Amino acid sequence: MTNTNFPKKSVLTLDKLAPGSHFCIQRIRAHGEVGQRLLDMGFIRNATGQVLREALFRDPIEVILNGSRISLRRSEARLIEVILIS
Amino acid sequence: MNFKGYRWRHRHRSWLATGQQVKEPVIRIALAGNPNSGKTSIFNAITGQHQRVGNYPGVTVEKKFGRIFYRNRILEVIDLPGTYSLSAYSLDEMVARDFLVNEKPDIVIDILDSTNLERHLYLLLQFQEMGVPLIGALNMADEAESKGLIIDVENLSQILGIPLVRTVGNKGEGIEELLTAALDLYNGRLSSSQRHLNYGVHVEEAHNQVIAALEQDEEFTKKYPAHWLAIKLLEEDPDAQKKVQQEHTKADTVLSVTESVKKNLTRQYQTEARNIVSEQRYAYIHGAIKEAVRQNPPTSPYDLTERIDRIVLHRFLGIPIFLGVMFLIYQFTFRLGNPLSDLIGNFFTLLGRAVHGWLPEGILQDLISNGIIGGVGSVIVFLPLVVLLMLGLAFLEDTGYMARAAFVMDKFFHLFGLHGRSFIPFMVATGCAVPGVMSARLLANPKDRIVTILVTPFMMCGAKAPVIAILTAAFFPEHSALVFWGVWMLSWLMAFCVALIFRRTLFRGEQTPFVMELPPYRLPTLQTILLHMWQKAREYLKKAGTIILAASIVIWFLFTFPHSKANDTGVGSVCQSEILAPAAQGGSYAVRIGRAVEPVLKLAGFDWKLGVALFAGVAAKEVIISTLGILYGIENAAAPAANGTSNLNIRDLLRNDPDYSRASGLALIIFVLFYTPCLATLAMIKKELGSWKWPLFEAGYTLTFAFLLAIASFQLGKLLLV
Ligand SMILES: Nc1nc2c(ncn2[C@@H]2O[C@H](COP(=O)(O)OP(=O)(O)O)[C@@H](O)[C@H]2O)c(=O)[nH]1
Ligand SMILES: [Mg+2]
Repeated sequence: MTNTNFPKKSVLTLDKLAPGSHFCIQRIRAHGEVGQRLLDMGFIRNATGQVLREALFRDPIEVILNGSRISLRRSEARLIEVILIS
Repeated sequence: MNFKGYRWRHRHRSWLATGQQVKEPVIRIALAGNPNSGKTSIFNAITGQHQRVGNYPGVTVEKKFGRIFYRNRILEVIDLPGTYSLSAYSLDEMVARDFLVNEKPDIVIDILDSTNLERHLYLLLQFQEMGVPLIGALNMADEAESKGLIIDVENLSQILGIPLVRTVGNKGEGIEELLTAALDLYNGRLSSSQRHLNYGVHVEEAHNQVIAALEQDEEFTKKYPAHWLAIKLLEEDPDAQKKVQQEHTKADTVLSVTESVKKNLTRQYQTEARNIVSEQRYAYIHGAIKEAVRQNPPTSPYDLTERIDRIVLHRFLGIPIFLGVMFLIYQFTFRLGNPLSDLIGNFFTLLGRAVHGWLPEGILQDLISNGIIGGVGSVIVFLPLVVLLMLGLAFLEDTGYMARAAFVMDKFFHLFGLHGRSFIPFMVATGCAVPGVMSARLLANPKDRIVTILVTPFMMCGAKAPVIAILTAAFFPEHSALVFWGVWMLSWLMAFCVALIFRRTLFRGEQTPFVMELPPYRLPTLQTILLHMWQKAREYLKKAGTIILAASIVIWFLFTFPHSKANDTGVGSVCQSEILAPAAQGGSYAVRIGRAVEPVLKLAGFDWKLGVALFAGVAAKEVIISTLGILYGIENAAAPAANGTSNLNIRDLLRNDPDYSRASGLALIIFVLFYTPCLATLAMIKKELGSWKWPLFEAGYTLTFAFLLAIASFQLGKLLLV
């Protein structure tokens, strides 16, 4: 339902990043509602942000993007392909 | 404050001096914007006390509106639900969107958080695309300025083609200018451009093709702006597709044109059409911000919010802090609310007795003193709890903490198919299920909300706890504390399991994304909080109150009729005479019902006395013990019916009653824990979910569930407990 294109080998996705990492978004794989919500929140190609922290069981995570703090579940972060900046 | 004074004088001058009614039509102004942009603050600043709360037709989304008299015109201001976007996925978005499309307000004011223009302008562009007469309020201007953001309002307004006004919602600054701009726009002295950003050659071309297809049906494009709908179709908006399918005469053509242009775009851009649309919107916004906004000097990301979050959202401290915060809210509500509730309860008991004394004896006397005064009393008793709790939660919500609470609790609740925010109704319901059900409003997803509401009454509330304490003491004297604790844990466990079952069966379906903003911390104003409190109180009394009152009278009827003269002996206590008199003769409808269902009750080891007491417990759980007391005939006219000595007696009576074994005691405890919630809770469920279907379902399923569990524990207990 959400994830149609199966990840190609070793694409980095947002859920893999440790707190503190800066990233640049490459592609959004999500469809439907999650996809729309991510777009609305500014998860678009070439947007950059930083992973701020994670909750107790490492889920959900918090990122900062365009100056706003956004929380999302790891399962949702998995749908965002990124490259690591630092 | 300045502004309020002005408006106040203005109102009076107009009414008094002219003394005539205004004939021009009401101007309808809708306030829209992202959550936490300050919409409610601006709404309050405009309307003050002149606000009403209702529902949007057919849904349980709260609709706030208010009318004020301004410059000889009547303005009706509507506070739309806060949304991040106008896609059709969440209920709030649908409501906001349908309101704009169907009701066509005269003016739409989009409240923007100036400190975060990027995300907030995104919504503004979507309003512009809809072609509504639009004004932007650059709210939180104070905060933006202190952060060193310098916005060239004139320039930005020019670029966007939309009038912009600087406001500080919580201080009422800029409201005057905002209303002036609204009137100017209404009168045509100001213009708001409906032109939209350029999506690039290919998208524009695709867009035009879809518009052309849509325009084949004139009726349709009269109703829905073609321009807007075409964009929505490119964005794969399910609601737009539905509208076309159901209402467009050439639906097939439109959809197939859309499909083919979307395919082309995907091929050209290597990504879906809707991504391109979003990217273009953001690119346009970036451009506009670059031209009109200066950051001076750049702020460090480690502002106050980040510093607080480092502690509050700390991986290990997050949950303890959250539990601590909930504990404080809980203490605040129940420490302060319970004595008030008791006071109110006592007052109504005294009033009932006094009235009982004044009135001539007879059925009317009983109806007024017990049925009506008792009923009104049982409504108002909950008022302090509802109001205090809502106050606490409003504070958490307005400061921005609530989103953090969801963040730290989400993992655990997600396992059971719920949202992190569900914790709050659960927790509240361990005090009282009535405000618990009410606080489920925090959940945006209707399914989460229904499931949460349906299971929160399982919690051991303040009324069930003493009943269960007495029962455990009666049947498990050696291990009462352990049994009590076990039962308490069981209530949580069952609530989660049933929630999971519901989520997997009746309320299946995709869970809403958790993607949400953690807004910057802000202090709410006293005015907002007090207004909120006042609204909740009024709403509770009006909606839930009437139902509780009516139901209390029905219960009174069942316990009083058929009536016989012998009952009018004027027993001292209201509570006693209410149930005792007819019961003593085995005559009231309630008792007859109890006897009739006894054979079924036997399966769980109950007899008719328990049946009647449990039935009375639907009015309010506390009544279970006092009813049992009356049925045992231990009371006499002199002794007080409530707690103290008589509870002790009941404990011993239950323990020594040869009819009840420990197995039936266990079954009884479990049944009391899970069976039909009290009337006040059912009334609240009706109010919150809007239909009678839900309280009926709730009453039915909990009764069945509790009874099955009771049978199981009785039968098992017979084998295991001696
Ligand atoms: N500093 C500042 N705070 C504001 C302003 N407007 C609203 N607030 C605060 O921001 C918080 C959220 O406001 P609220 O009106 O509830 O936002 P809503 O979610 O859009 O209805 C509250 O704590 C307000 O007191 C403003 O212009 N400046
Ligand atoms: Mg609000």
